[in-house]
Amino acid sequence: MLETINLSKSFKGKKAVQDVNLYLDSGESVGLLGPNGAGKSTTISMISSLVKPTTGEIKLNGVNIIQKPEQMRKVLGVVPQELAIYEDLSAYENLKFFGFIYNLKGKELEKSIQQALEIVGLTDRQKDLVRTFSGGMKRRVNIAAALLHRPEILILDEPTVGIDPQSRNHILETVRMLNELNGTTILYTSHYMEEVEQLCDRLYVMDHGEIIAAGTKGELLSILSTEDTIKVELSKMDEMFIEQVKTIEGVRKVEASQVNLKIIAKKGINLVSELVHLADQYHIQMVNFHTESPSLEDVFLHLTGRTLRD
Amino acid sequence: MGSFIKKDLLLFWRDRKELITVLVLPILLVVVLNFAFAGLLSDNANENLDLQLAVVNQDNELETLARLKEKLMEEGSVSNSEAEKMVEQASQLSPIPLLFNYLESDELKSWVTVHELEEGEAVKKVEDGEIDGILTIPSGFTVDSLYAALAGEVPATSLKFKMERETNNNSILFDMIHGFTDHLNFQFVVQEIGASDAEVFLPEGGFEKVGTGESFTLSQYFTIAMGALFALFLASTVATKTGLEIRQKVFYRIQLTNSNPILFLIGKMVSTFCLAWLQIMFVFVFSHFILDVFSDRTTSFWLGVIGIVTILSLAIAALAAVFTSISLRITNIDAANGIFMLVILFFGVVGGNFVPIYILPSWLQKIGEWTPNGSSLVALTNWIQYEELSSIVTPSLFLIGFFLLFTVVSVAIYPKRGKTS
Repeated sequence: MLETINLSKSFKGKKAVQDVNLYLDSGESVGLLGPNGAGKSTTISMISSLVKPTTGEIKLNGVNIIQKPEQMRKVLGVVPQELAIYEDLSAYENLKFFGFIYNLKGKELEKSIQQALEIVGLTDRQKDLVRTFSGGMKRRVNIAAALLHRPEILILDEPTVGIDPQSRNHILETVRMLNELNGTTILYTSHYMEEVEQLCDRLYVMDHGEIIAAGTKGELLSILSTEDTIKVELSKMDEMFIEQVKTIEGVRKVEASQVNLKIIAKKGINLVSELVHLADQYHIQMVNFHTESPSLEDVFLHLTGRTLRD
Repeated sequence: MGSFIKKDLLLFWRDRKELITVLVLPILLVVVLNFAFAGLLSDNANENLDLQLAVVNQDNELETLARLKEKLMEEGSVSNSEAEKMVEQASQLSPIPLLFNYLESDELKSWVTVHELEEGEAVKKVEDGEIDGILTIPSGFTVDSLYAALAGEVPATSLKFKMERETNNNSILFDMIHGFTDHLNFQFVVQEIGASDAEVFLPEGGFEKVGTGESFTLSQYFTIAMGALFALFLASTVATKTGLEIRQKVFYRIQLTNSNPILFLIGKMVSTFCLAWLQIMFVFVFSHFILDVFSDRTTSFWLGVIGIVTILSLAIAALAAVFTSISLRITNIDAANGIFMLVILFFGVVGGNFVPIYILPSWLQKIGEWTPNGSSLVALTNWIQYEELSSIVTPSLFLIGFFLLFTVVSVAIYPKRGKTS
């Protein structure tokens, strides 16, 4: 349905996005992961026709829409990361204004407004000024404004940033419902790996303007199928101890936080005896020790050398 | 487009602080300034005045009595002996010496300096700002005045008062000359030989007849100055709100639709026009009710005011559109807002909204007329005094010119989709 081919964008000679190839099938829910500055927002802006690509193509149902962006705007709804709504208007007034500029009128507009409000669960508060809403409710109005023209493709750019867990769950449920019940194609970007894991069929991992990995959750996890993640809780932390752990054969990465260690090591290696021995040397007790299967967060760390929230 | 206009009006309505600033503050300032300056002026009425009046005498008094006798015999069908008797009686009342006596009287000479000049020299000095006005005694004035007085008719020739621009000084000179005609009439009445009148000519490029003027008060000045100034601030406020729309990414969302982006700009223009119009009229009407600023004025006067306010509002709306387009292009919105405010303050100062324009140097007055508020001040001042369409044509054309210029500039620099800051 939607495809980008070698999509690139340079700003003043500096490449922000380079040769991005994405594909979204109709009704699919696809995640786009990447830390800040990875190029996600620029990619979304190009797909939304707000920024013209330096090179590459964007195809909608096989047709390059860079020269005909109005076709894309008809079928695309975008929920920007920022709250793109008027705080001094009510939820209803906001939706009415945006509905008008989507060329909706009369009963059709009214129906669209009420449907959008129902989807985001704000029917009862529609007459209240947005400025009186909680952060989560504002985010829901932000989503509703993108649903008015019943888009076939919905792009959500970190729609849950800075909100309470209850609103977050509501938004995730809304996105799931739109995808599963309405068949809306979703492109979802987030810092929260668990959201993407929960909602998306496939994932693209982006870093430094490039797609560095793509596939289903299983396919991505298989990247780490040769590794184990070991988590250790210690009685105290010692820098020298950490440096010694890094030298153990088979250990690939060590992350320390307070009294916890996260060790990524070659699969099948028995680290317990070596760790106990080292801990004794540094007069440290091992309070807890367990081995975990790798998560997408681990995959991301493995691929980029940093966490999603870096 | 209606949705854009409605949205902007609603947002303005919800911003109560801004609403109060725009509607209440100018009225408050009009009242305060009116009382403050009224006190200052009443104490020292004409103390610091030094008015310069040029008198251009085109009349030949030497031939007067002979021509008067001929005229009485030809046009008045009076016998030779009767004519001689009447001429002798009239010779006691020659109006030109009376005029000079009046102008050089102790009452006037402390604040009016009279210069007897040739017409060309007088016009040049008025244009250079050295002289406040010209009083022309036209050829045949004495004969016509005396004949009219003797025959009980309206005189065919009148004194002409000319000025380069409308100022309070000129208004005082105008009143002074009226004072003379009243004095002359009184002399004629005493002599039971009739009446005379003065006619005022206002220059506009050349010189233009505007008829008899009403007085122009300080409260009227403050009302129109504050109304226009705060309407100018609206242009800056609209640009600030555009900056907020950019920050809130609402403009981003508008660009995601297939609506024509220029509608956003037109919406800003129309909503600014409505707000500016309502704001200025609100200031005028409330100032009138509170201070009786435009007492006893006719419906046609108010229609004229509405007309001038309408074209001023159009110019301000177009200025707001220029600011909006710049806001959408510039990266630092705070810096842009600061620049807009400076532009407004500059317009306010040179356009005469902070201090009456006639106390500024003449070169600054000229620049002032090249601002929308300056032009509107000239138009409204002229309209208040003379209620003559001819007196507001030029400043109105200036305002329409500003509207067209600002509109073209705003559309030309309005960014294309995806090219905003």
